[in-house]
Amino acid sequence: MLSALLFCRMKIDGSWNAMSTEQFHTKPDEAPLRISCADIFWTFFRIGLFTLGGGLAMTTVMRHELVLKRRWLADDGFMNELSTATAVPGAIAVNLAYLQGRRLHGGLGATSAVLGVVLPSFFVILLIAWFAMPYFGQPKVAVFFRGCAIGVGGQLAFTSFAFGRKLLRSWPKMAVCAGALAMTVVWEMHPIWVLVVAGGLGFALTKPGPQAPG
Amino acid sequence: MQILLKLFVSFALIGLGAYGGGLVTIPLIQHELVDQRHWLTFDEMARILAISQMTPGPIAINAATLVGFQIAGFWGAVAATVAVVLPSLSILLCLAPFMDRIGQNAKVLRFKAGMQLGILSLILFAAWSYGTAAIKNGQELLLAVAAFLFLIVSEGKVHPIWAILACGAVGSIIF
Repeated sequence: MLSALLFCRMKIDGSWNAMSTEQFHTKPDEAPLRISCADIFWTFFRIGLFTLGGGLAMTTVMRHELVLKRRWLADDGFMNELSTATAVPGAIAVNLAYLQGRRLHGGLGATSAVLGVVLPSFFVILLIAWFAMPYFGQPKVAVFFRGCAIGVGGQLAFTSFAFGRKLLRSWPKMAVCAGALAMTVVWEMHPIWVLVVAGGLGFALTKPGPQAPG
Repeated sequence: MQILLKLFVSFALIGLGAYGGGLVTIPLIQHELVDQRHWLTFDEMARILAISQMTPGPIAINAATLVGFQIAGFWGAVAATVAVVLPSLSILLCLAPFMDRIGQNAKVLRFKAGMQLGILSLILFAAWSYGTAAIKNGQELLLAVAAFLFLIVSEGKVHPIWAILACGAVGSIIF
């Protein structure tokens, strides 16, 4: 489900990056409100429970809840954290929850926010595992999931397409991508090394100066 | 106990490599759990990924909880879920003092640009290896191509989960 979202995020992320850089350097942060950890926990719990998928879906809902509805954060603070959340590995929604929780209420706030955003997933999945898993073997359910699996295949192809259309705009970039592909296909290296090497190559080959990711 | 430790290590690696969102975890999960450890068959993994997309929350977390549960019960679910978020949270914890600048740092952005190409290659590889494992005949290939085209046409208008659910519905009728 993230295919389109992933792709959109990069676009938005890019423009937000530019915007937040400006705002961040010209205007000091406003004094943060003191908000209780219980409030933080429940807000993030609701975000985690009612958002399908991570990525952009969740960042949009978070911005709506925290910036627009509750006014706990200013937009520039939020954007700043969004760019940090995408600069480190891991689920973006979790990273963002950590950073916002931290801004709102320090370390405890960060813990509350992360627990809040992760626990709904955890419990929903546990319920499914306990009550629905026994039925997964039934032929009718199995064919449904076979169909879904094929859909996921199509989605991966679509993501490659959307990503490639956006990223493969120059020869060095294509070379890095082809090299990374060879690492997986020919040498069967662990995907993490592929990311590290590609990151290093990107560092060496792309021009210095801030550029929108993608 | 040992299985919990192995689960923990595998998912910590998945969490560390899951750079850029949910679908990136697919090649990592396939590599770690199906190809290396043989904990899951391909079909089990495909089913888990479909469920992870249909339930609320980030795909990586959902998949970790479900795989952990399937392999080692409740504590397996706990171990895998904690392991998948731990790397990124530790990194954020260490970077806390210069956090506000790191997202805009030119060097970080260049590294990030390169990693995105790495992700693209992983997703390309995943589309190929996942596709060749999932698609077994012409009929199924047709369905996958239909999903692909639908996603391109409906990009930004329809939530991608509908393409997956529609494929499931079509599968229920034709398989």
